[in-house]
Amino acid sequence: MMWHIRYHARTFSLLVSLWWGIVLLFEIPHFILPSPDRVFLILLERLPQIAGHAATTASEIVAGLALGTLLGLATACLIGDSERLQRLTMPFLVISQALPVFALAPILMLWLGYGFASKLAMTTLIVFFPVTAATLAGFRALPQSWDITFQTLRPKNGRLFWLVRLPLAIPHVLSGVRIAASVAPIGAVVGEWMGSSSGLGYLMLHANGRGQTDLMFAALVILCLEALIIWNAVNWLSHRFDYHSPSIH
Amino acid sequence: MCISIFPPTKSERTLLEISNLNITYPGHESLAVISWQIEAGQQIALLGRSGAGKSTLLNTIVRGSPHIRNQSKRLAYLAQKPALLPWLSVIDNVLLGFKLRGEPIDRCNSERALDLLTQVNLESLAHRKANQLSGGQSTRVALARLLIEDADLILLDEPFASLDRSTRIQMATLCKTLLDQRTVILVTHDPRDAADWLGTAMVLSNEKLEGPFKLSDFNNDDVLINALGGDL
Repeated sequence: MMWHIRYHARTFSLLVSLWWGIVLLFEIPHFILPSPDRVFLILLERLPQIAGHAATTASEIVAGLALGTLLGLATACLIGDSERLQRLTMPFLVISQALPVFALAPILMLWLGYGFASKLAMTTLIVFFPVTAATLAGFRALPQSWDITFQTLRPKNGRLFWLVRLPLAIPHVLSGVRIAASVAPIGAVVGEWMGSSSGLGYLMLHANGRGQTDLMFAALVILCLEALIIWNAVNWLSHRFDYHSPSIH
Repeated sequence: MCISIFPPTKSERTLLEISNLNITYPGHESLAVISWQIEAGQQIALLGRSGAGKSTLLNTIVRGSPHIRNQSKRLAYLAQKPALLPWLSVIDNVLLGFKLRGEPIDRCNSERALDLLTQVNLESLAHRKANQLSGGQSTRVALARLLIEDADLILLDEPFASLDRSTRIQMATLCKTLLDQRTVILVTHDPRDAADWLGTAMVLSNEKLEGPFKLSDFNNDDVLINALGGDL
């Protein structure tokens, strides 16, 4: 975890240096690309306001990630044992991923309103497919010889699934959640762009309309930090469950 | 009171009867048509080149087929990659069958599991997690689990193939002692693995099952190559 933080801090410093260098070198006006110090100052000035919006977006991402993971896991568990069900449902699962969330956003706004629910739905939709696909891959990863071995132990109904197949699939599930965590902010921010009164996406649109580029960038920086924190938390959690690794005892 | 379970005694009872079983992979031509009879207490190696259908035959025996009359009450199966759950301890892996069947794990079962771990020289690792074991240790744990199930037909699908030669010899010595008087089919493509503890072999080649052969006959490579279909 500490190694990851140091690594991200180094990348962050490099990006900020590059950004600063470009602003100074090309003398870019602050309303096109504000310098990092301007963004830092506005961050300090408007901290309570930005923090409130950041909390809204974080809650949408975390709730969407949790709900999408639960639904993805449940769907995979329901169809995991049946090739036929998988063939039947796969087109719907692919469509759920193939349709851009931008295309669905107006419909979801119409159905669920401009509040938390529509953002939650969009984030959930984005998270759902990677988790379902990874969990199904986890079920399929069970070697045939293991399946035969467990069958000879004459398992009672459901016990093989709960005690063996699902726990064995968990590293796959978590790799799906890791992928989902990196795309979940898209759902939340797109939802906020479409219509909301709070959140970092809303703040960016609001600042853009008033020519406050530095505030827009401040919101963007916080969104990046949020995404990194959430991804790292999921990554840390997934390594805790990586029981195949000999280093985790 | 704990009840001791003794290994089954040898008899001439037919345990497994296979009649005209067509072994095939989905979408492929037939690999072999097999008729075979296994008596209780018989211990036999099943040799064949890779892809000859040896493992498919074992899988079919486990899954069942109208062409197979299986008189055994319990089957046990051990594959090359021991199916140990990495998050469970060694002893919990040995007792996995009880958990999967929802049977209570009482003191007798625990003592028996520990006793079997002692027999496979792993008593000191009983509470270690399975993902901390070497390949040879994992195979020995799987062997202990196989023994606690008291199966009357034991199917071994190249269980020692991934182990080094010295560990394979140790495993063969263990099997010779622990599987004595049990009915065993050992699938292998290396007759040395079988010759360490078995006497006879059947050979699956040229789309049919032939034998029994004396395993010692296959010490001569030419005889072996010829029996396996003329090409290794």
